[in-house]
Amino acid sequence: MTRMNMDKDDSRMDDALRNALRRQEAPDGFADRVLARVAQQNLAPNPVRHDSWLRFFTQPIVRWAALAAVAGAMILGVHVYQVRRERAEGEAAKQRLMLALRIAGTKLQLAKSKVNEMNANQTTNRHVKE
Amino acid sequence: MKIKTRTNATLWLVVLLALPMLARAQDVKIPPDVEKLSARAKETVEVTMDGPMLRWASKFLSAEDPEEAKCAKLVANLKGIYVRSFEFDKDGAYSAAEVEALRSQFRSPAWSRVVGVRSERDGDNVDIFFKLENDKMAGIVIISAEARELTFVNIVGPLEVEQLADLGGEFGIPKLNPKDLSKSSSKAQRGDRR
Repeated sequence: MTRMNMDKDDSRMDDALRNALRRQEAPDGFADRVLARVAQQNLAPNPVRHDSWLRFFTQPIVRWAALAAVAGAMILGVHVYQVRRERAEGEAAKQRLMLALRIAGTKLQLAKSKVNEMNANQTTNRHVKE
Repeated sequence: MKIKTRTNATLWLVVLLALPMLARAQDVKIPPDVEKLSARAKETVEVTMDGPMLRWASKFLSAEDPEEAKCAKLVANLKGIYVRSFEFDKDGAYSAAEVEALRSQFRSPAWSRVVGVRSERDGDNVDIFFKLENDKMAGIVIISAEARELTFVNIVGPLEVEQLADLGGEFGIPKLNPKDLSKSSSKAQRGDRR
């Protein structure tokens, strides 16, 4: 390759680069379109916030309703606990009452059996004497 | 003269203050001597149920269960049930004097002993006292002194004799005929005197 050919190739490449990188004016209305797009994006709601269920509680009435529901559940829980405890204590009292009656009944039965025994002995003795 | 007036006033004050205590003493519940026995006992059963407690407990008695329904009917008008039962691990853990002190509390006009059993063979002694008010039963006391067991039962309140018979007949125990009780009481007491 001669030196002359090499210079010609360089000059062609320079021309191609110059042509590719030449300053071009933006099309008409480009800046307006960009500004309009930016404004539109700012106005659009955040897609993440839109999907969150927590957003439901941002409304005051819902917040109060949630608080009331929690308080109601707590009151109901305490009530259920008290009812259950009262029932357990009542059952225990019933058992004590039954036990007391059982003991009284047993002792009455003991008295009866002893009296019957004595009656039987007296009758036997009478027959023996006769 | 002034001193005498003051003394009289003090005496009246003491009497007035003592009246509620005397009134309470009339309504025998558990004698203090009985409570002391629990220290010597192997097993102790203590049931103390006054009027409000009885009414509350009876609310839990099922009307569908015939046994519990009878109990509910029985305790409906009662003012209290007091039971102390002591089981000892050896004979002679309590003295005859202690039992006698217990019995002596019911030797008053308000009480009448309907059953008094003394068994020399096995040492089982049972006493049943009725409290009568206007010819109606107002209470029953059972004192059962066995070789290794001492039981004191005090049921306060109007208790029909038929209900008492039911009480004896419940829990798989044969019924106690009230007629048997009245017939046997005289015989048993005769035996006791001997």
